[in-house]
Amino acid sequence: MSRERDADKIELSWDLPHPPEKVWRALTEPALVAQWLLPTDMELKPGRPFRFRGEPNPLWDGVVRSEVLELEPGRRLAYTWVAGGPVGLDSRVTWTLTPIRGGTRLSLEHAGFKAGNGPAFQGARAGWNRNVGERMAAALAAMD
Amino acid sequence: MPTLAPLFKALSDPSRLGIFERLTRGEMAVMELTAQFELSQPAVSQHLAVLRQAGLVTVRRDGRMVYYGVRPDAFRPLVDWLSHYQAFWPRRVDRLKALLERMEP
Repeated sequence: MSRERDADKIELSWDLPHPPEKVWRALTEPALVAQWLLPTDMELKPGRPFRFRGEPNPLWDGVVRSEVLELEPGRRLAYTWVAGGPVGLDSRVTWTLTPIRGGTRLSLEHAGFKAGNGPAFQGARAGWNRNVGERMAAALAAMD
Repeated sequence: MPTLAPLFKALSDPSRLGIFERLTRGEMAVMELTAQFELSQPAVSQHLAVLRQAGLVTVRRDGRMVYYGVRPDAFRPLVDWLSHYQAFWPRRVDRLKALLERMEP
């Protein structure tokens, strides 16, 4: 695994001993995606919204709202990654698959971490859940 | 997320936590909070001062009344999404690798 740092995005890549077709399935079939990322109703049609769902906590409403931005079967998949809640994030995730000897190089770019990019903080108390404080410490400890 | 420590410290007191939670549902004056929490007015004021110092609570003056409310962006500078996802993705891809091992070719 290699990593690069930059203020605005994360870039990571992994060399996997599996063919691109198989890695692609794991990235795009909802039942498989649920096993390693998050449960999702992903349906890969450009412009069709879908969601990932996780355990809500005071900083995240438990939903990542997504929409396909780029779809190049077997090679490239990009979708929005919009986390709602008091501390929101409006970002983009791009997966790129490159055939290599003996497998696939899987590259990830997660972009859009610029400050002020999130959808949250509109309105005085709109984003605050009730009982925010009560659940906060436990939830943050459990965040991964 | 060690930078959240000041927030946790401010909210570690049950009365302060209660006051903060009450304020997430709407602004209140010190007198109203005092009545709700069966605390002395100086005690409530002291708790509010700590919450203000932690950046969790704001003050709005309206004539002679002073209203306290939560700062909606209180956590914003303290939650570092970049670091969060720098840890998140490698862990998830470890799970992806395990899944690929289990999958039919």
